[in-house]
Formats: sequence, structure tokens, C-alpha cells
Amino acid sequence: MSKEKTKGSLSDGLWRQNVVLVSGLLIGPVAAGATNFENAVAIALVFTPLTLLTVLACRLIPRKIVYTVRVILYALVAALFYIPTIIMAEHLVGSAVVTSVGIYLPILMVNPVILTKSETRFYLMPLKDMLPELLGYVLGFGIVCITTGLIRDIAVNGRIGWFRLDTDFSIPAMETTFGGFIMLGIAAAVVRQIMNRKKET
Amino acid sequence: MSVFTDILIVSFIAIFLQNIIFERALGMNIILYAARKKESVIGFSAIITYVLVVSSCLTYLVDKYFSHLEYFSIVMPFLYILIVSVVYIVSLVLIWLLLPRLFKKIKGYVHMSVFNVSVIGALFLESGFQTSLVTYLGFALGTGVGFFVAGYLLFTAHGRLNSELVPAAFRGIPIMLVYIGVISLALYAFIGYSTQ
Repeated sequence: MSKEKTKGSLSDGLWRQNVVLVSGLLIGPVAAGATNFENAVAIALVFTPLTLLTVLACRLIPRKIVYTVRVILYALVAALFYIPTIIMAEHLVGSAVVTSVGIYLPILMVNPVILTKSETRFYLMPLKDMLPELLGYVLGFGIVCITTGLIRDIAVNGRIGWFRLDTDFSIPAMETTFGGFIMLGIAAAVVRQIMNRKKET
Repeated sequence: MSVFTDILIVSFIAIFLQNIIFERALGMNIILYAARKKESVIGFSAIITYVLVVSSCLTYLVDKYFSHLEYFSIVMPFLYILIVSVVYIVSLVLIWLLLPRLFKKIKGYVHMSVFNVSVIGALFLESGFQTSLVTYLGFALGTGVGFFVAGYLLFTAHGRLNSELVPAAFRGIPIMLVYIGVISLALYAFIGYSTQ
């Protein structure tokens, strides 16, 4: 595959088809789960290997099996991969952070990139084309999730992870679910506007 | 009478105070998809409610008898997916055999309404309560109704939110998210949110 095509596939998932800001497939964990930098890192850390491994493994499931049944296998494979992934996350970010993220980690097992996008997009292309595109989708989610956590951490706690900023500025509502929705809505509009401008030029 | 009251109270909490969409943001992709048609809102809500109520009975038993085990929290997600899968496949076979017309109607989107974040997320939330079967059932019922309420609110606004009156950059998902955020904010006020 040419460099240009790889770049295009990567930027599709990263930008043009971003699962949070453009297609709206994975809003929940970011809006309600990524309330600070640490939580956002934990979500991205679980999402990345879980989605990559599951989508790659499920590619081996024969397409002769009807999708109504295949979707069960996708979810079960994801649930199996979730076990080592969550153990790894606990080692990397600590069990306190994993506990504080709560249900927003296990729900990633049934994320639409695994259950829907794999079927409508990834498995329709050859493996070498699928890999950069899948990587783009995963990175696109990770970047938005961590950026959201970072902004909220600064706005709410005046810190980034363990690093405290010298400020009294605080907007506690940014930590809430409605704060997350409104923030993501505005961010999605900004992304849309930039994309529209790019198209025009 | 007491059981009925308990179910009603827990359902009320799940519909308004712990709404699966406005408060928990679980199943956003499904609600954004379903909110385009009234029939979809009803269909998705009915399937989610059914799967949640039946699965809750089984997850209650799993929680009751296995939650004390050391590695339960790690294998719990797998067990829950397994339970939902069994409920899904058994129900589909029964519908296919007994109600072929219904099967034809729902087969296009049944997998989306079962394997989604709303269903799995609600089961995890119930597990966190670790209480009685009545609580599990009430929460499952309330989650389904809460999904319907959220879906219907989005459906009624769908046309206006996608109209020419909305700036092009905001049309579609961005304005929908802001709209959901505003309703979520209203529900927070209803609970009595404090920033302290």
C-alpha cells in the first residue's frame, strides 16, 4: 500500500470519521467517564489494546455465520480480551483509578468499533488496508478522550494528573455529564467547521 | 404491595435520577440512531427493557452466589456478556418459532438493541447496588423506560435540530449533544446538584 493511501486511511479514523466527534459512536465513556486526566488515560489504555486485539481476532470468525450470531462471538472475544487488558491497566494506572472510572471500562467490550464498524467497514477491506484505518480509529478515540480529560482536569481541579497548576480558576460543572455533553458538542461543531472550510479550499 | 412500591421507586430513580442517557451517557450511538424514527424508539426501548429484565434475574443470581469470590470483578464482564448472549439467542429462537412476523420485523436491528452499552452498562450498575431482586428488576424496567423517555425527547427535537435554522457546523451530532447536555443539566437541577 502506498504511503499516501496509508496516510489517508489513518487520517480517516483520526479525523474525518472520528468516533467521538464526527460519527458520535463512542460518546459515553468520554462525556461521563473521562472526567479527569487519569481517568481519560485509563479509558484510552483499555480501549486501545481491547479494540485492536478483538477486531483482529474476530476477523478469523467465518463470515458464513450470520451476523445475528456472529455479534455474540465478537462480544465474547472482547470479554475474554478484557481480562488481561484490565489487569494491565491496573498495573499501569493503579487500581484506584480503574475503580474510579467504574463501568466506563467494562462497557468498552461492546463498543461500536468492535460490533458495528468491524462489520460495515474493517472486514470489507484487505488486512493491509484495514490495519492503518483501525489504528486511526483507535488513536482518534484516544486523542479525543485524553484531550477531554486534560481540559476537564485543568478546568475543574487546576491540575494535570499529579502536576498542580498555579491557578484558582475552577469550573466544577465541567466534570459533570452535562458539562461533558456540552463540551463535546461544541468540540464536534468546531471540528465540523474546520472540515467544511478544508473542503471549500 | 411493598414489592410493587419498591419496583416503582427504583424505576423512578432509573428513569429520572440515573437516566441511562442523560445521566450516565450509556448507549449514545443507539439513541442517536433510534431517535430518527418513532418506531425505532419504541422498538429499541422494548427490546432493551425485555433483555434487561430477563438478564437482570440471571445476573442477580450470579452476583448473589459468586460475588464473594476473589477474582469475580475480573471475570464478571465475561459472565454478563455470556448471560446476555444466552438470553438473546434463546429469545431469538423462540420469536423465530412462535412469532415469525415479529422476527422479520426486528431481525434488522435486534443485535444493536441487545449488544450495546445501555444494556451491559445497566447490568453493571445494578451489580454495584448488590441488593434484592426487586431492585434489579425495578432498575432494569426503569432503564428501559428511561431509554424510551430519552429517545422520545430526542425524536421530537430531531427535525428542528437538523433544520436550516441551526448553523451548518452545529447541525446533526453537535447540536444533539448540546441538546442532551441541556436536558441533562435540567435533570441535575431536579436532583439538587451541588458543586461542593
